[in-house]
Amino acid sequence: MDTLNFLMQGFAVALQPQNLMFALFGAFVGTLIGALPGLGPANGVAILIPLAFTLGLSADTAMILLTAVYAGAMYGGRISSILLNIPGDEPAMMTCLDGYPMAQKGKAAEALAISAIASFMGGLIGTLGLILLAPVLARFALTFGPAEYFALFVLAFATLGGITGKNPVKTVIAATLGIMISTVGIEMATGTQRYTFGVLKLYEGVDFILAIVGLFAISELMLFIEERAGAGRKLIQVGKLSLRPKDILDTLPTTVRGGILGFIAGVLPGAGASLGSFISYTLEKQYLGKRGHFGEGDPRGVAAPEAGNNGASSGALVPMLTLGVPGSGTTAVLLAMLISLNITPGPLMFTQNADIVWGVIAALLIGNFVLLLLNIPLVGFFVKLLSVPPMYLLPVVTMVAFVGIYSISHATFDLYFMVAFGVFGYLLRKLEIPLVPIILGMLLGPEMEKNLSHAMVLSDGDWSILWGSPLAAGLWTLAVLGLVLPYLVGPMLRRRMRESMTESQTSD
Amino acid sequence: MTARGDRLLGLVLLVLAVAYGWAAQQWPPPFGGHEAVGPQTFPTILSVVLALCSCYLIAKPDPDTHWPASRTLMELAVAVLILIAYAVLLEWLGFILSTTLAVGTLCWRMGAPVKNAYLTGFIGAVLVFVLFNHLLELSLPGGLLELERWTH
Repeated sequence: MDTLNFLMQGFAVALQPQNLMFALFGAFVGTLIGALPGLGPANGVAILIPLAFTLGLSADTAMILLTAVYAGAMYGGRISSILLNIPGDEPAMMTCLDGYPMAQKGKAAEALAISAIASFMGGLIGTLGLILLAPVLARFALTFGPAEYFALFVLAFATLGGITGKNPVKTVIAATLGIMISTVGIEMATGTQRYTFGVLKLYEGVDFILAIVGLFAISELMLFIEERAGAGRKLIQVGKLSLRPKDILDTLPTTVRGGILGFIAGVLPGAGASLGSFISYTLEKQYLGKRGHFGEGDPRGVAAPEAGNNGASSGALVPMLTLGVPGSGTTAVLLAMLISLNITPGPLMFTQNADIVWGVIAALLIGNFVLLLLNIPLVGFFVKLLSVPPMYLLPVVTMVAFVGIYSISHATFDLYFMVAFGVFGYLLRKLEIPLVPIILGMLLGPEMEKNLSHAMVLSDGDWSILWGSPLAAGLWTLAVLGLVLPYLVGPMLRRRMRESMTESQTSD
Repeated sequence: MTARGDRLLGLVLLVLAVAYGWAAQQWPPPFGGHEAVGPQTFPTILSVVLALCSCYLIAKPDPDTHWPASRTLMELAVAVLILIAYAVLLEWLGFILSTTLAVGTLCWRMGAPVKNAYLTGFIGAVLVFVLFNHLLELSLPGGLLELERWTH
């Protein structure tokens, strides 16, 4: 019953007019960003972070805004999948399989509507799961000591890198580079200046907001210039919507199954939304067998992955909120926001910052309703936006990121730094070094060092304390598995996704 | 299929790891001396991890990814220069002018017709300027146009 009380408090926070307004705005902008091919939720959240800062939003409002953007981007991803056969990001890939064929048959409006409803249901199921699971996990995490936390951070790096990269060594490199960046600045305990080279700007360390925006937004622009994805695309006409209640009822069981599967996939660290949409689709295909005509425009083939990926996006918030370990790239960016707001994510947040945690959860629930209401009537508008060629869009998006950063500090130095991070990010992406562990390293580095030194003080300098307790040892084992398993499973998952893509395309 | 990219990366990282680790050893030991963890401990661990990984990369590099041709490389350099120029000119030229130039040039380099490119830049600049300065009350530099005078 505690949970219910907290949730009520959360609603009280989320329903304040200002917060509600930002949730609406975030949901809208998020959908825009998600709908644009190439811009995923991680970029979307990264671009809006500076804005949240410059507006001087309070912690709960800022988190509500960014969570709404996140949920919105997950919604929006389906639009370009269905209409253009171009997934906005990886999780939206599976939606192409049946969404595009439906659109080709002149049922674009139906596909968009069904996917919106499935996204809504998936998001709702995921959020309910979050409400039930998060407090339990938070209570469990309270038993963690510094050694367990240290191991947990290692686990976070191990699993997160697994999905984003192909070579686990490169993941380790990325994480190490990130942690190294975090050691720049004055060390707290002794006041030693580390790697500042006497530059005053570096005394406080490298600002990770700059790093995130540079690494994601600027490098995206550079990758686009390299690929020159060309001008506007042919759009499929969205006809008049003729959705009967029966059509929705038909997809309902699929949606519910997809949402639950997606949520579970989301909670697993590192698996995230890609796995969520993939297993929802494949299991549904197997379950229905001959009764479905998947790959040829079956509405259930649209509903399953959309429910799955939105369920997963809420699921990924569970480890982020309870352990301070993000379950996906976007939640890592959200975590960055929390840390820069001076809130230490983790189990204590549930007691110390209950209003924020529950405000965010309540906002997520509200956000899902807002997104549903927003998406059905405004779908035409989002569709129009897809015809804007990226050669106009990307420079403008970059400019917004630029201005956002400038308005935080009014320092030109920060802009140079951000551009440098952009070039760095581009090089890393070309060398297939994943970016997310770098961000995570910058975020978790100081906490890691703090926990390491606490653990060493407790053990009087005996290093074996780090893996001494069964729990810590278990976490280390999981970390090693997390590093090695995706090495085997990740490429397979990606290959399977590609295969089902090409299969459906060749069967046209 | 060569693997020069990763080998080179490994080498650069190895140098970085050694320099980083060496620098850590130069700090004076913490006051009191015998604490298990000083400011140098964590960086030392990191440098060892990075050094091991870079050796692995040199020994077992991944096949090279496709690197852009020199023409594209030029375009990329131009884009980066535009961004730097944007940062340099932002305060002096003011937000609207510098944004029109930067966004316009970027759009143009990406293949948009000149007129459309700079029009996009200008419209975007004015919209963002109005949004930031009036609705959000964050001041962006007016620069040569001195727009602040009549905005405040």
